[in-house]
Amino acid sequence: MNFWFAVFRQAGRNLRQTWTSQFMTFLTVSLSVLIFAFFYLIYTNMIGAGDRLSDDLRLIVYLEDDPGPEMQEQLRRKINNFDKTESIQFISKSDAYERFAEQLGEDSDVLTDMPRDFLPASIEVVPLKSLRGYNQIKLFSEYLATLPGSEKVQYGQEWVERFYYFTRLITIVVLLSGTLLILTATFMVAYTIRLTIMGRHEELELLKLVGATNNYIRTPFLLEGTLQGLMGSIIGLSALYILFQWISLHFTGPGLINLFHFTFFPPMVIVSIILGSIGLCTIGSFTSIQKFLKI
Amino acid sequence: MPKIVQNQDPIETKDIPGNTMIEMIKVSRTYAPDIKALSDISFTVDTGELFFLIGRSGAGKTTLLKLICNMDTPSKGLIEVAGHNINNLKGKKLAHLRQKIGVAYQDFKLLSDRTVAENIAISMEVSYKKPRAIRQRVRDLLEQLQLTDKHDALTGDLSRGEQQRIALARSVANSPRLILVDEPTGNLDAATTERVMDLLTRCNKAGATIVIATHDASIYQKGNHRVMELRNGKIHSLSRNSR
Ligand SMILES: Nc1ncnc2c1ncn2[C@@H]1O[C@H](COP(=O)(O)OP(=O)(O)OP(=O)(O)O)[C@@H](O)[C@H]1O
Ligand SMILES: [Mg+2]
Repeated sequence: MNFWFAVFRQAGRNLRQTWTSQFMTFLTVSLSVLIFAFFYLIYTNMIGAGDRLSDDLRLIVYLEDDPGPEMQEQLRRKINNFDKTESIQFISKSDAYERFAEQLGEDSDVLTDMPRDFLPASIEVVPLKSLRGYNQIKLFSEYLATLPGSEKVQYGQEWVERFYYFTRLITIVVLLSGTLLILTATFMVAYTIRLTIMGRHEELELLKLVGATNNYIRTPFLLEGTLQGLMGSIIGLSALYILFQWISLHFTGPGLINLFHFTFFPPMVIVSIILGSIGLCTIGSFTSIQKFLKI
Repeated sequence: MPKIVQNQDPIETKDIPGNTMIEMIKVSRTYAPDIKALSDISFTVDTGELFFLIGRSGAGKTTLLKLICNMDTPSKGLIEVAGHNINNLKGKKLAHLRQKIGVAYQDFKLLSDRTVAENIAISMEVSYKKPRAIRQRVRDLLEQLQLTDKHDALTGDLSRGEQQRIALARSVANSPRLILVDEPTGNLDAATTERVMDLLTRCNKAGATIVIATHDASIYQKGNHRVMELRNGKIHSLSRNSR
């Protein structure tokens, strides 16, 4: 009779004896995986959306007057002194007028009575990709505001700020739910396996006396932990996937979801979550059985 | 150069007739607060011997057997089983040695919610015997002990005499090299006692070393073997029976 036959027979006996608490543990692990994965999914999508949005990020410095070519060169140098930029584009008053007219399209005739210089001149600064942190953008905009002749700097402050704080919040929630997952998976599994061990204390003691190796005693419990982790994470992730499908189905069309391009986890992340859950549950059962073996 | 193969089985290495199976030198066991269960015990059991341990209740017989199978550790002294200091063995080596020692405990240590067959099988399962071989061996033993009809009964439902025989069957099932039997006939009638002793004698003939702790004069007064009497934890006498 080989080792694995013995292990599976023993694991089957464990399961038969304590299947209610095993089932509760399995549910808890699934739920923790679901909660964690849910927030993590929001987080990754936020990051993705943030990346896409910051591709379009530009700071607009409104100027008091059209700068002459020499002045443009000076300003350009000043801006690049602070930090290198992706691009700097000067927009004169008449350029601004034409853009606006273009945007209005058919309604452009409302502009006929307006003077061609009624819009302010401006500089469009596209910062480097590396300069995308909220604080860096803020500092940069403060610097741009001190440029001679600058009136006002705009980059959708409010929006960037909100997005930034929301991302922070989600990060915290992900960390919290991750901790919750670690605690529940590790401790719930450790606890149920402790229960099993206590319920079968007599037998395990006897096994030691008749010469069962530690591996003979330990492996069925480790296997149980591993199974809890595997099943729990698969069920948790499947539930999330169903939820995800339901949301994409019911909230398609014009709206926030489209803006965000909601996507599910790539395979690598799914595998990582499953492996992580297996790891945690196995550690949980390992600590319990190890305590018993030491006695 | 030939490769030296490490023997997995600690007991096999010195398990040759004429060698020493059990060696105790100046062994004492004191329980808190000041109960001297055993003091200054020194004796030797040879491989293949049938050895009797007698003495009044409380003399220290069970304590001595527990020390031999490493269920308990001595307060002082040296215990060697098959040439291994049993108190220094750990982990895998200890497990393998224990697989080669069968013990029938005075309190049986049966799993009351398991069937008779499962209880007997446990010692063979841990040494990975084949399921078919296990089933065969269980049936044989039950037949020899006249318990064939109890194969699927829960041990918790059996009488003490029946439980005693199950405990014995489990101790010999895995064909151990050393068998320790604590009070094997306490609850048995004369005819059943005979059967139990037949089984043990057969194991002994097959080469197993056997130590039997008992009050039962009827089993140790027949035959040619050594009998050691304990009194208050000390060796009172150690002599060869020759009848
Ligand atoms: N765990 C223990 N704690 C304290 N005292 C113990 C313990 N185990 C045994 N003793 C004492 O050690 C002495 C020897 O006990 P032991 O069980 O070895 O006797 P025994 O010869 O097997 O008796 P019996 O024939 O009744 O089985 C007794 O006085 C007993 O009370
Ligand atoms: Mg006793």
